[in-house]
Amino acid sequence: MQPSLPRTANADLAAAPEDFAALLRRHGALAPTASITNVTHPQSTPALIPTEATTILAFKFADGVLVAGDRRATAANMIVYDRADKVLEIDRHSLMAIAGVPATAWEMARVLEHSFQFYRRTQLQEMSLDGKVRALSKLLRDNLGFVLQGVGVVVPIFATYDHEAETPRLYFYDAMGAQFEATDYAATGSGSGAVRAVLHYENTWGGPKRSLRKLKTNDAVLLALRALETAASSDSATGGVDRRTEVFPIVKIINESGITTLSESRLSKIFKSKLA
Amino acid sequence: MIEEPYRWVEAIANRREYIEHQLAAGSPIVALSFADGILLFALSRERQKIFEIYDRIAMGGIGHPGDIERLRLVAIELCSTEGFARSAHDVSLRRLANFSLSPALKAAFEQVYGAPYLARLLFAELGRGTASNVFLRLDYDGGIHTNGGAFGRSFEQFGVIAGTKVATNHMEEYLRGQELPNLSFKEALLLASKTWAVGHLTLNAEARDDAPDKSAIAADLKEQLAATSVECAVLERGSGLPMTWRSIPDTDARSILEKA
Repeated sequence: MQPSLPRTANADLAAAPEDFAALLRRHGALAPTASITNVTHPQSTPALIPTEATTILAFKFADGVLVAGDRRATAANMIVYDRADKVLEIDRHSLMAIAGVPATAWEMARVLEHSFQFYRRTQLQEMSLDGKVRALSKLLRDNLGFVLQGVGVVVPIFATYDHEAETPRLYFYDAMGAQFEATDYAATGSGSGAVRAVLHYENTWGGPKRSLRKLKTNDAVLLALRALETAASSDSATGGVDRRTEVFPIVKIINESGITTLSESRLSKIFKSKLA
Repeated sequence: MIEEPYRWVEAIANRREYIEHQLAAGSPIVALSFADGILLFALSRERQKIFEIYDRIAMGGIGHPGDIERLRLVAIELCSTEGFARSAHDVSLRRLANFSLSPALKAAFEQVYGAPYLARLLFAELGRGTASNVFLRLDYDGGIHTNGGAFGRSFEQFGVIAGTKVATNHMEEYLRGQELPNLSFKEALLLASKTWAVGHLTLNAEARDDAPDKSAIAADLKEQLAATSVECAVLERGSGLPMTWRSIPDTDARSILEKA
C-alpha cells in the first residue's frame, strides 16, 4: 500500500469546512451519534446508573460574569467523587459549566475546546461568538439519542466575553440543545431550584443595591457560596462547602482580560469571615 | 516506457528539475530560537506564508499555494486528532514529519504519472521543559533536514528555507556566525530580518559567490520593507497556556525594523 495523506476537508471543494466533531468521527476518534429511532425507553431500574454532576450557577456582576459549581458527583444515592470540576475552560474567554453525566460532558468540553482551536488554525480566523454558542448546541443535539436512552444527559451553561459588544454573555441550554441567553443569571442541575430562588430574591430585593450587576467581586463570590450552600441544604446530590476537608466550590470569573480562577485561600477567607 | 529503470531515473530527474525551477523564486522564511521561544519571520508580497499548526508547532511554506494549503490542512488534522484522541503531549513534530508527511510526499513525487507536491516546508517545534527546539525542513521529495540532535551533532538553534539551495546555504552560514539562544525578541527580529535579506539577495547567486556584505543587506531590507508586509509570529514559553502561538502585527514588527 502506498502511503497517502488523509483526505482533507477541502479536497473535494466542500462548500463549508467540515466541523471538528465530524473529522474525529471520520478518524474513529469519537463515537458515532446514537440513533434516536428505535429507542427503548429506560426501564424503571436501569442496568447502568450513570454518575451525575449537579448544581452549577452563573451570574453577571460588576466585574464580568461569575461561574461556580459544587464538587459532588453522584450515582443514584451514592457519592462517587467530592472533587469533581464542573467549570471547564474552553478557551481564553469561554467557560462551560456542566450538570449531568460527566463522562459525556467532559468529552463535549474537550470536543468544543479542540474544535475552536481547529477552526482558528484551519480557517485563520477566530470562530465568532454565535458560532461558538451554536457549536455547543449542535453537540447537545448530537447527544440526544443517548439522552433518550436514559444515559448521558448534559445540561450546560456557557459563559463568554463578547469583545465586539464589550460585555459578558451568558447562555444556558436544555438537554436537546436549545440555547437561551440569560440576562442576569442562570443555574442548572438538581439544586438549581434553590439557587434560582436565591438569585432571583437577591436580584430583585436583596441588599441595598438590589441588583446582581452592581455586586463587587467579594460580595459576588460570597453570594455564589451562599447559594450553593442553600442548594446543598436540601439537595443531597449537591456538595456545597465541605467544612471538614476544606473542599470549596470552583469559582471562576470572566471579563475582558480573560478567565480568573479564585484560589482556595481566597475562597476560604471569604467563607470563614462571612459564612462559617 | 518508464518500466525501464533508466527511463524511470530520467523521469524522476526531469521532475526534480521542473519542481526546483518552480520553487526557485520562493522568497526565504527564517525561524530561530530566542530567549522566550521561537521566532518565525518572512517578508511577503501576496499571501500568508507562516502558519500555526498546533500548540507548539508552526509551519512556513513556499511553493504552489494549493499544495501548501493541502499539506497545512493535513498537518493540522493529524496533530488535532492525535491531540484529541491521546493528549497534546503526544503530538510531536518528529512523528508528524517522519511517519506521516515524508512518506506521502515521497510517494507522490515518485509516482511519475501523478502530480507531485510543489512545496517546500519549514517546521518549528517549541521544546517542552528542557528539551531543545526542533527545526525541520521538509522537501517535495519527502527529504527531511533537521537542525541536528542525531548522530552526535549538537542542535542548531535555527531553520531556514528559500527557493534555491545556494540561498539556503548562505542563510545558514550567516546564522552559524551568531550567538543565538539568549536574544531578546527585538534582537531576534532584527537578526531574522537580516538573515532574510541574505537569502533574498542570494536567491539567484552561484555557489561560489561571496556572501552579501552589511551595507547590501541593509539596503535590500529597506527596499523590500517598503514593498512587502512583515510576517512575524512567535511560539512563546511561559504564557501558562497550552497554546504558544502569537502572531505579531505588521505595524509592531515594522516599527522595530524601521528604527534599527
